[in-house]
Amino acid sequence: MRKLFVVMGLLVLASMMLAACGAPAEPQTIVQTVVVAGTPEVQVVVATPEPEAKPAVLRVNTGAYPDVIDPQKSSFVNEIGHLKLIYTGLTALNEKLETVPGAAESWKFNDDATQLVFTLKKDLKYSDGSVLNAKRFEYAFMRNIDPATAGEYASITDEIVGAPEWRAADTTAADYDPEVFKAALGVKATHADGADCADYEDVACDTLTLTFSKPAPYFATIAGIWVGYPAKQENIEEGGDIWWTSSKYQIGNGPFIWKSVDPFVRSVFVPNPNYAGAAVPTYSIEYSYITDSAVAFEAYKNNEFDVVASVAEDLDAINADPDLAAQHMQWAGSCTIKIQFNLQPTWNGNPNPFADKKVREAFALAFNAEGWVKDVDGSLSSPTWTWIPPGYPGYDANSPIKYDVEAAKAALAAAGEEFNSAEKLNAMGLKMAFSDSARNRTRSEWLVANYKANLGVDIALDPVDPTTYTAIQKDPTTFPLLSRGGWCADYPDPQNWLSVYWRSDTTFASRPGYKNEEFDKLVNEADATVDPVKRLDLYKQAQQLLLADIPAAFGYNSLNHYLVKPWVKGIQTTPQDGMFPGDTAPWTISIDTSMIP
Amino acid sequence: MITYIIRRLLWLIPVILVVGAVTFILMHNTPGGPWDTDAERRQVDESTRKSLEAFYGLDKPLWRQFVAYMIGDFNNKGKFICGLPCGNFGPSYRQRGVPVQSILFRPPDGDDGNPKPWYYSRFGYSLRLGLMALVIAIVVGIPVGTIAALKQNTWVDYLSLLVATAGISVPNFVIAIFLIIIFASGLKWVSVVPRTWDTLSVWVLPATVLGFGTLAFTARLMRTSMLEVLRMDYIRTARAKGLAERVVVVIHMIKNALIPVITILGPALAGLVTGSFIIETMFAFPGMGRAYVQAISQRDYSLIMGTTLIYAVLVAVANLSVDFIYVLIDPRIRLEE
Repeated sequence: MRKLFVVMGLLVLASMMLAACGAPAEPQTIVQTVVVAGTPEVQVVVATPEPEAKPAVLRVNTGAYPDVIDPQKSSFVNEIGHLKLIYTGLTALNEKLETVPGAAESWKFNDDATQLVFTLKKDLKYSDGSVLNAKRFEYAFMRNIDPATAGEYASITDEIVGAPEWRAADTTAADYDPEVFKAALGVKATHADGADCADYEDVACDTLTLTFSKPAPYFATIAGIWVGYPAKQENIEEGGDIWWTSSKYQIGNGPFIWKSVDPFVRSVFVPNPNYAGAAVPTYSIEYSYITDSAVAFEAYKNNEFDVVASVAEDLDAINADPDLAAQHMQWAGSCTIKIQFNLQPTWNGNPNPFADKKVREAFALAFNAEGWVKDVDGSLSSPTWTWIPPGYPGYDANSPIKYDVEAAKAALAAAGEEFNSAEKLNAMGLKMAFSDSARNRTRSEWLVANYKANLGVDIALDPVDPTTYTAIQKDPTTFPLLSRGGWCADYPDPQNWLSVYWRSDTTFASRPGYKNEEFDKLVNEADATVDPVKRLDLYKQAQQLLLADIPAAFGYNSLNHYLVKPWVKGIQTTPQDGMFPGDTAPWTISIDTSMIP
Repeated sequence: MITYIIRRLLWLIPVILVVGAVTFILMHNTPGGPWDTDAERRQVDESTRKSLEAFYGLDKPLWRQFVAYMIGDFNNKGKFICGLPCGNFGPSYRQRGVPVQSILFRPPDGDDGNPKPWYYSRFGYSLRLGLMALVIAIVVGIPVGTIAALKQNTWVDYLSLLVATAGISVPNFVIAIFLIIIFASGLKWVSVVPRTWDTLSVWVLPATVLGFGTLAFTARLMRTSMLEVLRMDYIRTARAKGLAERVVVVIHMIKNALIPVITILGPALAGLVTGSFIIETMFAFPGMGRAYVQAISQRDYSLIMGTTLIYAVLVAVANLSVDFIYVLIDPRIRLEE
């Protein structure tokens, strides 16, 4: 027994010693023995060492580790957040979400916007010093379209001539030849005089021409997103299917170099001296992958992170602490979330109440968006009555719908005979589906209570496993009667909000069953209009039509919300920021290392 | 002995087949698929989905997909691709292009560009954490249970019962954040977010949290077992013979009381290696648990299958190991019988 105690005691001691090994170093006093030249005496000098200069590192907790960091295969925010540090596309976004030069110095559409010619900046280089020419971008677009890549965002470049045909090709057919499809593709890198480019070393290869099957005046913005990032063909081929997992193959032209990665633990990015954007950043970045927000918050308070996303659960603690409250940044996000209605004529074989516009109007008017933002989201979102969120081109605050309980009751009373009272709706057994999690349950319970209080309508909750929830929303026959959903911008153009989402031939509109021919006509015309002012006006008209149709109760916009240490300076936020405040224009950020404790 | 081992190992084959079949049926009958994205985001279009399904063989009948995974199948070019028997767990559907065996068993590259040793793989991390948690559970749990039994109905006993009950009933994510606040935020003995897992000190908190439940259970079981042994005739006989109390406790009591404890240690080890998802999330630990749970929510079929089968093998091997330990500590037990 005594031996057992000895072993236990040793173990505890060992643990304590090991734990002590990790204690932060304190400033020490150094005692040096100095032999003074020319004298026989030995002097003892006591000196306090200068504190070591702290490195300028932005330490960001990004949450989940990405599944795939491949420009032509990635699709999630955290994946793109890595790519946009390593690479830059032909165009970029500024702090006003305007499309500005990236790797391209300039671009020009032809008269009907069916052709777009980019001219690259002079002497572009990758981070390893190798030449970056237009042929690299040609490869990027071709790889995105190639069905062998099967990128999840491949369809975003379908305006390019030959792209949908190649993507739909039967690659198992005996006569399938990818070179035939490549030759027919509207992507061509040339010299400025139209001569063919020799290879990737050809420095005069500075022109990329994209030809579209229909007018695409918005494509200069699409050309800047991650699917067009110029990953090196030889690295992709040498690294094989897993090339993207190794930082040594991720040689890019972005503001940073991916120096090292310890999967699921940490990634380190250092400034790219060859970056040809606005300015080379003056700091490094460390991404950590803590998915538990409580732990990330503790680490932030412990000065182990400079940037963490804030969550509703921590808001009381943040607001109670003046320092933390001052470090809390909030600004407009990229998503609009709505209470979505099934618009099909029937539901479960019965007439669908939400096919009646007056019922939809009643539910839209009865949604207390301000209450939602305050009670449910802890002010980490902002109420809206329109579709395109603030900060994005096409934002229009005018809406025929505003929270008004009396008007909501009147709208319900004016609905068709079958649905014009709460009792009649209750008899139908209305249901609201939601992706099952504790947070979503709270949200859905609030919504149900809101409609009970304002319209007297009883709605049953229908919790569904998250992946199943996504699946049932993809099928018009299973699309929930009531649910919560929305859209987050791929790129800042009204086309992405209106044509991509609500035009009747898109999957998003057809699933709930939205169709308005006049709306379709307007967005089709806007999509083909080169004049930006006229184009924007057409989209505004289309949005007003959409709002009047009330295909959903447009509820609230996401807000980006982060805690940021005071030594992180110069942040210029945009709604498109994904991983940390200002990551759309990271060169504006600096770290004041003198402030770091 | 050899026959017994071979027989037990052969039994693994039907076990793997059944576990694989049940997992396969369950995951394919659950709605959703590996390329479903957030409803708020652009969805994978039909052409791309077909390309992906063709690439991963999801366009084939389910029975053929199962056979391809468990045994092997011919690809489009007529070449036979060996499946599970060759250690091929298939490609991950979400971590595009990465084989499941690489995700679980391949260590990341070191600073010199060469792969680190095997124990830096996700499996290696989980195994190390599980073993460390088990060591903590044994080294603390057994003495605590023993002392509680020897000091029955004293404050020592009540304290150990309190700790044991707390260990079983308090969820480990609560214990984790509690310890993080005390030792990382408060005392600053360790950092909240370990910068590297190369230092042993950063393992102490996650291993303690992970092992706490097993520790508590071990302590309670040991206490109960000791109380039973305490009243045995042979203990009274040993004392009557005038043996020293130390000899009675260590040789006669603890050794006999350990048998039920050892029974649970095999499954406990398997549970600790496989059940560290919460710990991995809280401590950003690069083990297998997070990959498993993430694979389920993403419908990453091959990763779900691979991880489940590895867990099944771990449980079977742990149980087999327990059978051997029985023989070592109790001469009445014979494997052949």
